[in-house]
Amino acid sequence: MLRSLYHCALRLHPPGFRQRFADEMLSIFDHTAGKSAAVRLLIDALVSLVRQWTLRQEFWQDAPLTQPSAGDGVPSFYTLDPFRPHAGAMIHGLVLSMAIFFLTCFAIRYSWIHVLHVRIPEVTFESPTPVQPDSGAATSARLQRPGVLPQSQAGPAIAPSAAPNSSVQNSFTPALSHSANGAGSQNRASPSSAIAGASTEAAAAKSRTKSQMRSGRSPDASNPTPVPQARLQPDAGTVADQPQALPSKLQNAASPAIRAGAENLKLEAAVRHRVIDGAIANLNKYYVDPDVAQKMANGLLAHEKNGDDDAAADGSAFADLLTRQMRNISHDNYLMMVYNTVPTAENPPAPTPEDVALYRKEMERTNCSIEKVDILPHNIGYLKFNQFPDASICGTRVAAAMASLNHAQAIIFDLRDNPGGYANMVAFLATYLFDRPTHLNDFYDRSRNSTEQSWTLPPVPGNRLADKPVFVLTSHSTFSAAEGFSYDLKMLQRATLVGEATSGRGHMGMGHQIDDHFTIHVPGVRVVNPISKTNWEGTGVEPDVKVKSPDALKTAQKLAEKRLQQN
Amino acid sequence: MKDVIGSFLPLSPATLHILLSLAADDLHGYAIMQEVTRQSEGKYKLGPGTLYDNLQKLILRQFVQELGRRPGDDDPRRRYYRLTALGRGVLAAETDRLGDVVREARLRLQIAKPRRA
Repeated sequence: MLRSLYHCALRLHPPGFRQRFADEMLSIFDHTAGKSAAVRLLIDALVSLVRQWTLRQEFWQDAPLTQPSAGDGVPSFYTLDPFRPHAGAMIHGLVLSMAIFFLTCFAIRYSWIHVLHVRIPEVTFESPTPVQPDSGAATSARLQRPGVLPQSQAGPAIAPSAAPNSSVQNSFTPALSHSANGAGSQNRASPSSAIAGASTEAAAAKSRTKSQMRSGRSPDASNPTPVPQARLQPDAGTVADQPQALPSKLQNAASPAIRAGAENLKLEAAVRHRVIDGAIANLNKYYVDPDVAQKMANGLLAHEKNGDDDAAADGSAFADLLTRQMRNISHDNYLMMVYNTVPTAENPPAPTPEDVALYRKEMERTNCSIEKVDILPHNIGYLKFNQFPDASICGTRVAAAMASLNHAQAIIFDLRDNPGGYANMVAFLATYLFDRPTHLNDFYDRSRNSTEQSWTLPPVPGNRLADKPVFVLTSHSTFSAAEGFSYDLKMLQRATLVGEATSGRGHMGMGHQIDDHFTIHVPGVRVVNPISKTNWEGTGVEPDVKVKSPDALKTAQKLAEKRLQQN
Repeated sequence: MKDVIGSFLPLSPATLHILLSLAADDLHGYAIMQEVTRQSEGKYKLGPGTLYDNLQKLILRQFVQELGRRPGDDDPRRRYYRLTALGRGVLAAETDRLGDVVREARLRLQIAKPRRA
């Protein structure tokens, strides 16, 4: 105890004195026996302490034993005692300071969002099936009608790609019907009527050009517009090729009647060559990246020349093979060769009013995929939107939902289960977040070498959300148009994205018929954001705040509360 | 040289004892303390604080030279000190001065004694 005090007193001496004599004084202390002697030494040290600090200023810095000063740029250490730190001590110090640094970073992050999140490695999400086994197959044949493309154009084009299988068709059909009915049928908000008008014009234009096309294939595995599909299914052809998920055998087994009626084509070299030629022609004409298209064309020809295609026993196997060959080069899962066992009509009939009615009915049944509209604590509005339905059909309902959130102080759009849909709904919904028409996206169509712009609509009268904080919840299952909505708002710095990176579907594909049996789906339209000059294809939309999907709502609420407190 | 030495006189008791203890041999601090005690027959005890405060000054004035540690010593922390020529001169001068003082003092005391008697 006394020794510690003595040591302490020595350490408090001026550096010059301490470095020179402290060891020796301690040595004397250690050689002194008896408590009284130790106390006297301690008193002596305290007197010395006062003396050195008050009367011996000239010796304060007299430290002949100090280490040589380091040169410029060389780290140096000053130590209380005349020794150099061990290498081990340096390593300990390094490890400890790094640990504290990371702990501090973690604490800052933790305190910011108040939720403990463990980062998990990014996983590229692949949609399980490009075309739904049940719905996609059924719709594929039926979808080949001139009207589809116009719709996609009218409703700024995310729809085709996003709009899975049937929804594309559905989407288009209603638009036509509305146009026929005139804008009067849209009795509500200006956005919807504008969209209806646009759809009409585009649709008419497309009909004139007779562009054949079918829907883009869709990533949307859970496409919630089953009614039209169901109706179509019985008489529809079957998609023989399900490149990713559905083995052709299974498919054929599922429709024995059809299979009996239309035998699987025995492929001769000439037929294969014709299909490959058709595929190459379509790739070169439509595929968004001409260079890659050319590479794929070369690849297909090389495989044919090498006899790789001889192994294909029937049409669906051949379609499978071609799909794989194209994807191996492009890594683009939009690309797909489809084989229809039943010869398909070259110009399928336009969507009927019944189709429109069915779609409308389905939207009524599902409340236009608006799963939840709520006011959360702190007056934070919440909209869980599970699809971007056609604005010309669902505009009223969405407008009503947004009206009920009009007095919220912040708004959270939950798109975690949203597989996309119509671009016109993207623009419609985004309209509520801006006080003027805002440029969202461009859609570049390679085959036409033309670009169409997508803008929000004129401001909705009475809307109060244009300057409120916006949060968008995303997940790996956020697809296509929902990604577009997220991406656009992120680029415009209008929203904070919370959740996971999205799936990365920024192209739009369409089906092109090669012959009665073979159809090739080619991504021909690319979304180009006017700010980033690119899109989210392949990469997905990165959230601003990365958390696991189930935690996204809680995190966004915290962020919103924090933002509101700051204001 | 004499003037220089004279400027340091008179020496404080502590300084005098330290120089004196180093006159015969090189010593470390603890040995100096013991030697001082022995010289004064226990009447003058030097604490380490005072000792090293004085050594500090003596080294600066070059009366004492620090020799450093000696390998094989009982305590490796100890450093040894040696009287320099200058220190020796100063000690001699102080001794002479004190001798004069003593002589003078004795003389005076002898003169005074009969009076008292």
